[in-house]
Amino acid sequence: MAIPLRGRLRRYGTSYAMLLPFLALFAAFLIWPLANSLYLSFTTFDGINPATFTGLDNFRRLTADDRFLHAIGNTSLYVVASVLLGTLLSLGLALAFDGPGWSHRIMRTVFFLPSVTSSIALMLMWKWVLFPSDVGLANTIVSWFGGGAVAWLATPGLTIPILVLMSVWGGMGYGMILYVAGLGSIPREYYEAAEIDGASAWRRFRHITLPLLRPVTTYVVVTGLIGAFQVFEAVYIVFRGTNSVGGVLDSGLMIVPYLYDQGFTHFKLGYASAIAWVLFLIIFVLSLVNLRLGRAMKEL
Amino acid sequence: MRRTTAACTTVLLALVSAACATSGRPQTQQAATDAPATLSFWSTGGDDETAIFQKAADLYHQQHPNVTIKVQTLSWDDAYAKLLAAATSRSGPDVISGGMTWTIQFGARGAMVDLREHGLDSLKAQAQPAQWESAVSPDGSVYGVPLDMSTLALYYRTDLLEQAGLDAPPKTWEELTAAIGKLKAAGVAKPYSQDWGNLDWIGYFNYLYQAGGTFYTPDCKPSLDTPQAERALAYWVDLYREHGAPTASVEASDALDTGTALVVGGNWIAKGMDVNKPKLKGKWAMTTLPAGPAGPTTFIGGRAIGVTSFSRHAKTGADFVRFMYSDEAIAAIVEEARKRNLPYIPPRPDKVVAASSFTPEQAQVFEQAFSTGKAAPGCPGWDESAPDVSKQLQSAILGKADVRTALAEAAKVMRANAG
Repeated sequence: MAIPLRGRLRRYGTSYAMLLPFLALFAAFLIWPLANSLYLSFTTFDGINPATFTGLDNFRRLTADDRFLHAIGNTSLYVVASVLLGTLLSLGLALAFDGPGWSHRIMRTVFFLPSVTSSIALMLMWKWVLFPSDVGLANTIVSWFGGGAVAWLATPGLTIPILVLMSVWGGMGYGMILYVAGLGSIPREYYEAAEIDGASAWRRFRHITLPLLRPVTTYVVVTGLIGAFQVFEAVYIVFRGTNSVGGVLDSGLMIVPYLYDQGFTHFKLGYASAIAWVLFLIIFVLSLVNLRLGRAMKEL
Repeated sequence: MRRTTAACTTVLLALVSAACATSGRPQTQQAATDAPATLSFWSTGGDDETAIFQKAADLYHQQHPNVTIKVQTLSWDDAYAKLLAAATSRSGPDVISGGMTWTIQFGARGAMVDLREHGLDSLKAQAQPAQWESAVSPDGSVYGVPLDMSTLALYYRTDLLEQAGLDAPPKTWEELTAAIGKLKAAGVAKPYSQDWGNLDWIGYFNYLYQAGGTFYTPDCKPSLDTPQAERALAYWVDLYREHGAPTASVEASDALDTGTALVVGGNWIAKGMDVNKPKLKGKWAMTTLPAGPAGPTTFIGGRAIGVTSFSRHAKTGADFVRFMYSDEAIAAIVEEARKRNLPYIPPRPDKVVAASSFTPEQAQVFEQAFSTGKAAPGCPGWDESAPDVSKQLQSAILGKADVRTALAEAAKVMRANAG
């Protein structure tokens, strides 16, 4: 039998009152901006004048915008490469350094450091590493092997590989920590039993470690996917040209830097909001697919 | 389940309708002109630049004791977004400075005062004509006026030129390519590079105008599909593909320091070179860019300064902007800039040699550049088109498109954006 409203209020009133500050902040800083951005995506808001409602115009324009489609293509390539490599290397590092000893702890700390360092500082460091001419670190190393100076930031074919390298280097330590925790939760008895049955190291990894790490893998892939789709600093700081966010030939143009460029450089905040919602839908659908796949594989 | 969906939809609709209820833009009430006023001036640049402009603000305060102007720094990286946020919320600075076309863009959306209302169009007589044209909106509104000037110069290593048997820097396009050949023959591995505008429309700008071309006709029709534009791009592309100019941008002082003989770079490089690269002292010099078939045009950049439409002290703000063109304000700024070893060229061509923070010899080079200088196009759609134009130029340089096709594509985008 349902409790009457009065009773419910008496019973849960204090709890709801204590939730109010959070709910107010949640509504003001998340729900309200979200609703506003959804509304703006149907307008031609320029940031200063009142918004003009234009229906689905912004979304229609997106489908014919070459730079946006190029940004989607670049981002997809980047996401696949960085998430795949990042996950594999995170797992590899976790397997290599999951022990309790000092050497393993130190190595884990070293690989985890980029995850807690300011991303701006990291990107400035990469800019210095990839500095052109013979003064940059990368070119200094190339010169040790007799190579000439490489235009790292001005060669379109190198842009995505460099962005993937920066992402994987910066993110694999975080994935490693998650995998180390996952490895720790696998009961030792499984391995002992498998060993007694004569299972090789590979078979133990294939049939015990990998399946039991599936929840961690799903988490690493989904969070990696979300992060990779939202790549911004790397493009904005390292590859920004004088007047364009995408680097040479837009080879590094990604969705969020393009969104920023349209919204905050060209005053097209309505259009930028439409880009944001398309990005949200892409991430939402891919995350759903990923979670569903993770569940389906578990049921197999 | 159905009830939950209905409730969610209702909440979302309510939020969206609330979001729709954005109110119109209110008129800003002006404070009494004789009342004590504190104005905020958001200056785009470094803290040192804030300090030099604060000197002018302090001088203004001495002459108008009831007016205080506080200059605050906006870094180039986030200035535009901060100014946009201020304009959106209609609160923040009274006076702003930033990129040459910023005030036009903010002004077109109602965030800047048309300074003609305060008689500031009279400053045109004192300003560099091309830079002034670039600061004025296509409809004639003056939302901002030039605050300073910048330009490019050809920096060169005297020792390397001597090594190649060159007794003077190149003065024309032909001399430039001949000099590159001689430098290569003399064993100089890096004969030529470009810093400001490498692989970008600013870099092409110089060659385009030197060949007699323009981005737009005087009535703002895109004009990149012309023989002059083709000749300019063909020459520029050859500098990369035939003569080995690097596609990677290295700052001019670093390029000279690492053995590049001829470098096109911004005027500010000259100021810090002897301090930043002491080993180069006595081994470098500068001159104007080599002239093309149509003459010696050089790009002029700089910052614009204007008054926001949401300022309660628009009249005082405009008066302060006018004050920035006075001899005494320029003298105060230059004195402080010299103390801090900062580059500063006033927006008045008559003051470049008389009152810039550069040595007279350096200032003379810049004065010569300004005398034939042109500034960025202020035509509608240029800002939207610039990244695409650069992309087409890059296609030609990197061998992805021929010169004519690249320019035709660039002109097409410019036409589409011109509306």
